Amino acid sequence: MSPSIATNQTILVVGGGISGMTAALEAAECGKQVILVERNATLGGRTALMNRYFPKMCHPTCGLEINLRRLKGNRNVRVMTMAEVSSVTGQRGDYTVTLKLAPRYVNANCTACGDCAAAVDAEISNPYEYGLSKTRVAYLPHAMAYPMHYVLDPSIIGTADAGKAKAACKYDAIDLDMQTETVELKVGAIVWATGWKPYDAAKIQPYGYDRFANVITSLEFERLADPHGPTGGKLLRPSDGKEAKNIAFIQCAGSRDENHLRHCSRICCMATLKQTHYVREAYGESGKSTVYYIDIRVIDRLEDFYQKVQQDATVSFVKSKVAKIVEGKDGNPVLHGVDTEGYHRYATAHDLVVLAVGMEPETNGIKLPEDMLLDSSGFIESSQDEGMFGAGAATSPLDVNRSVQSATAAALRAIQVVHKTAAAEGAK
Amino acid sequence: MADEIQMKTAAYICSGCGLGDKLDIAQLGKIAQKEGKMALVREHAFLCNSAGVQMIRDDIEKEGVTHVCIAACSRRAKTEAFHFPTVAMTRANLREGVIWVVAEGSDHDEVRQEMADDYVRMGCAELKKMKLPQGNPNTTRLKSILVVGGGMSGLTAAFEAAESGYEVVIVEKQARLGGWANKLWKRVPFKAPYADPQDTGVAGLAARVSSHPRIRVHLNSTVAETSGAPGRFTVKVAQESGAVTEEAVGAIVQATGFTTYDIAKLPELGGGQANVVDQAGLEALAQTANGGVLKRADGKEVKSVVFLQCAGQRDESGKHLAYCSGHCCATSIKQAMYFKDANPDTDTVVMYTDLRVPGMGEDFYRSAQRKGVIFTKGKASGVEAVGSSCKVNFKDLILDEDTSLDADLVVLATGQVPSAGVDLDAWNKVVSEAEGGSEAAKQNKSELQKTSILNLTYRQGPDMPQFKYGFADSHFICFPYETRRTGIYAAGPVRRPMDMLQATEDATGAALKAIQAVENASLGRAAHPRSGDLSFPIVRLEGCTQCKRCTVECPFGAIDEDERRFPVFNEQRCRRCGTCMGACPVRVISFENYSVDTVGNQLKAVEIPDEFSEKPRVLILACENDAYPALDMAGLSRTVYSAFVRIIPVRCLGSVNTIWITDALNSGYDGVMMMGCKKGDDYQCHFVKGSELASYRMSKIGDTLTGMGLEPERVSSYEVAITDNERVAKFINDYVAQLVEMGPSPMKGFG
Amino acid sequence: MSDSNKQAIAHYRNNFLKEVEDHVEDGEWVRMCMQCGVCAGSCPFGPHWEHSPQKIFMMIRAGKREEVLSSDSMWMCTSCYNCIVRCPRKLPITHIMHGLAHYAHRLGIAPKGQPTREIARLFWVNLARTGRVNELKFSLAMYFKDGFVQGIKNALAMQGIGIGLMKARRLNPMELLGGHKCKDKDGIHKMIAKAREIEERKQKFV
Repeated sequence: MSPSIATNQTILVVGGGISGMTAALEAAECGKQVILVERNATLGGRTALMNRYFPKMCHPTCGLEINLRRLKGNRNVRVMTMAEVSSVTGQRGDYTVTLKLAPRYVNANCTACGDCAAAVDAEISNPYEYGLSKTRVAYLPHAMAYPMHYVLDPSIIGTADAGKAKAACKYDAIDLDMQTETVELKVGAIVWATGWKPYDAAKIQPYGYDRFANVITSLEFERLADPHGPTGGKLLRPSDGKEAKNIAFIQCAGSRDENHLRHCSRICCMATLKQTHYVREAYGESGKSTVYYIDIRVIDRLEDFYQKVQQDATVSFVKSKVAKIVEGKDGNPVLHGVDTEGYHRYATAHDLVVLAVGMEPETNGIKLPEDMLLDSSGFIESSQDEGMFGAGAATSPLDVNRSVQSATAAALRAIQVVHKTAAAEGAK
Repeated sequence: MADEIQMKTAAYICSGCGLGDKLDIAQLGKIAQKEGKMALVREHAFLCNSAGVQMIRDDIEKEGVTHVCIAACSRRAKTEAFHFPTVAMTRANLREGVIWVVAEGSDHDEVRQEMADDYVRMGCAELKKMKLPQGNPNTTRLKSILVVGGGMSGLTAAFEAAESGYEVVIVEKQARLGGWANKLWKRVPFKAPYADPQDTGVAGLAARVSSHPRIRVHLNSTVAETSGAPGRFTVKVAQESGAVTEEAVGAIVQATGFTTYDIAKLPELGGGQANVVDQAGLEALAQTANGGVLKRADGKEVKSVVFLQCAGQRDESGKHLAYCSGHCCATSIKQAMYFKDANPDTDTVVMYTDLRVPGMGEDFYRSAQRKGVIFTKGKASGVEAVGSSCKVNFKDLILDEDTSLDADLVVLATGQVPSAGVDLDAWNKVVSEAEGGSEAAKQNKSELQKTSILNLTYRQGPDMPQFKYGFADSHFICFPYETRRTGIYAAGPVRRPMDMLQATEDATGAALKAIQAVENASLGRAAHPRSGDLSFPIVRLEGCTQCKRCTVECPFGAIDEDERRFPVFNEQRCRRCGTCMGACPVRVISFENYSVDTVGNQLKAVEIPDEFSEKPRVLILACENDAYPALDMAGLSRTVYSAFVRIIPVRCLGSVNTIWITDALNSGYDGVMMMGCKKGDDYQCHFVKGSELASYRMSKIGDTLTGMGLEPERVSSYEVAITDNERVAKFINDYVAQLVEMGPSPMKGFG
Repeated sequence: MSDSNKQAIAHYRNNFLKEVEDHVEDGEWVRMCMQCGVCAGSCPFGPHWEHSPQKIFMMIRAGKREEVLSSDSMWMCTSCYNCIVRCPRKLPITHIMHGLAHYAHRLGIAPKGQPTREIARLFWVNLARTGRVNELKFSLAMYFKDGFVQGIKNALAMQGIGIGLMKARRLNPMELLGGHKCKDKDGIHKMIAKAREIEERKQKFV
């Protein structure tokens, strides 16, 4: 069945989002042995928390479903969730990787029947909803989770809920004695598909993300628009739960800004244009989207998507980096700034402000192997020994399509390493 | 072979996850035994645990079980546990499909049990018509890769494939390798600090390719003919001299690049004037200058230059390119640096409406500003020749005024036009006119043929189908390499407008896909999205009426026609969607584990209550890619829907044969729901055309229904997305309510 | 037109950006602006001036010398530093604005009678005399800058504040008679003269 012992012919893929899954599957479908490790309790990464993809307005879970089916049907990939790389030693063709496996407290007996969740009382902020809702301490990350196993939040240990969850499980799937484990692997090549994280919007002081309830991030807005999300797909603003109909989108929230992120995050313009569709779909002619921008960076074929949005009378564009937000009456954020095209000063109230937050490498703040070469924003360029590769948004702020391209390329680079290792060993 | 072995069936009924509490498991066992005629029937309280799985494994090994029906949870669940690769298997979905979606309470016990009974009947019925797929017996072993185009993308694809251990053949129409990159003075930087133009590196790459032991290069050559399939392509390479050599390859990467948009089409921006060049023209001047000050064609040193971005691009009038070519802002920045690096006093203005330098391009932009390049947000209205210089008239969008600038040279940033070969929509129109006898069409056809790149001998035309704006791309966001010609992958700007960094990345990915294609072909299995699938279409030619529907409708051009117009299946090109099976009016096409009979048997196994029972029956044919998961997730979220429906997953709605619908209605079903992916411009069908074809076929079914004396509403179609768990339940409940109102099908009792 | 202005025009011809880069404090940063407008929106005096910093920078790049140097905008800057803090390109906008004001003043083409410019001028004259600011004389100079009648009106309007300041010993009527000064007045004057000499040298355009 699955490879029990990794060898220097094995490719390790770190990160189980769309890029990591792609890199793992593409290599495995070329006949290579792959280990895919993911820090969270489920594969799917950030895209699983998106409502739609631009430009087709299709559903990220659709592609996830296909990738999961590929995975279920391919015995060359071994998946390890709740696993983090703690160290890498050795060199190209011969790495030793130490993994730290966090306890899930639920074993493979789990049938996802949900009895444990029904039995417990305590709640935690839902990590798969950016904290916009609560979930029980025994929970399934989301409907597309893989593995389709529940997970117990570590806070349950030692509480009455732990016992209740265990008692509710008919399948002996709950193991409260699980401990953090350390595993060592030998691998030939490593693909770092560690993805991205949203820039901390609270650091953009004039926008008051930490002070004003109705200033949210673009990722939180994805959750609001998602029919599976905390509001059932309704665009309800946090302060009072009222429908937000007049929505401002602020571009370059953190990006293209030497006080925050030096780089342009590439995807945010398209993401905002996509989100104006959500407003349009929710309210028709009675909704209103205003996009505050410096340059609309809709690269290549996606231009027609921009053109269509420009023709929508409910969407307007203001060429301006918003200077500051103050809270007006009824909790309405009021945006202050100047439209630089011809110079027009504004102080405009909106129901809700969506900050198109920039992308930074998920690995910022995490120690990577010293051999890795990073750019000035921390994105992975390559490794000195050419045995480790970045893939997807770990290498640059990329959209899904380009991430998949990048991950496919990274898979081939990893294949080359194990191919050459095998050839060298064959020659011995 | 499996069919030489005695078929032995077994059904396993799980009582875990509440199945035992809500259903009469013993009754299900009885049904499996008596009606399903299963040789072995076993119940288990927790079938997916190691003991349950071991029980099944023992039966396979010791009892000789060859066919397994698992009546438990959805086919999407517990796939690791229920993995028995040596037997044919069906899954009766009692959990997500019955107990999780039927309303709670004893009032519903009867309908809940009936639903479960039927799913067990269906599982057993399907099983008996299934065979374990053995894989395409015509496996092919050719693993070499053809790369068409020797530019940056082609060279990269070739080199990366060769470095991975595969033999590569390059066909390049020019006399030397390198393509556009040869014409560049420098390229945009790929790495930090993103400050200065860099050497293109093309000469080094071309040299490494030329001397690579696993790469052979044909220069001054084009592809005269491509026939075959992944793992067994035969490619005729025509040299300029007229000589033709034959290459046998396993997969193809098409990296045929682009041409620049013709500036002669932009007279209003000075296209055609002596001192107006495009970016390619500027590269030529820079190569001549060789690092010194840039001079115009007339020899005058350029002291002022204006770059006009988006020239003939992002055009909404329909006259020029509608898209943005993505690379041109960074290219102009790079070219502006040529001037500033040679002479910092050169007045260098880049005029843009949106400056598009994503990612680390922002650093490159800053670097240009530091070098003194002026960026002006403005829209040029015209370029006039004034004396020996140019006057650029424009609206300054920041200062909100119409004004002008004088410059020695104007550079138009025009876009990339893909070199993708023949547009198949145009081709097919010409072909059908030519077949109708039109002489003009025949002439057109041979003219079109001359523009072909691959010259495929495929029934459906000589090149890859094109997507928007003539790019040879896929439509998929998650699967960018999926073209509609299996084993042929596009790479570089032929696929979408892109810069050199992206093109090399893209070419590396395309090389992997080509490698994957030859590996899959050698194992006789399918490529994406049914990767690893060993089933393949089997045709019973003696029943074929040569109607050509399968050859025309196959979304992947997998089926050719022989001289007697019989279909010729190229299994290695096939993606196993079953569209041909759905198209075939005489039902001679099938897969070993998926056929007209496997589905037909299931729908006939359902027990249809009589017209007085007030229990309608609705057949749902649900696409397994999106609709079936949505139905599953309705279960997971315990969304209640009517217990009167019976769901059969299908590979794609395109594989739905209308006989299933007429069979269902004839046997007394009150209605049929078809659930598939979105069609149209933003289609989400994983097989591109499947849902569209199904919709077309269903639009024709009205007459059949009228002929049967049935209302057209008895068949309905739905576009269902994977997130539609709530909607899909509503569709079902509304439709069942509508049928109840219509009254029972008049066909009941005649089936 | 002042000589220095004529010289500058002759020397730089149409390249006002170059002129700014050479002669304005932090002027070399003007090229780095990307026209986002955050400075324009951040300035507390925004509604009162004619051109925003970002627009001034664009005008410099477009060669609008006259308009820029005679603009009142840079005279309005209160050095709150909002623009510097928020500028995504880290332009020292406050400094550039002051630099432009100073340059326009030196060339003698700054807007006449512009109140903030006038207050700066009076402040300087007052300060340079003794090396210390004489608050009373400075206030009176401000009141009477537009003539005697207006000066009386201004003084009457402000008398409440004046009395308050006197009670708080922040304003001494005796200051009118010479007032306090720094220890080495001559030294201060020499220093100022030297600084002026250096500045004069900078103004040469050859």
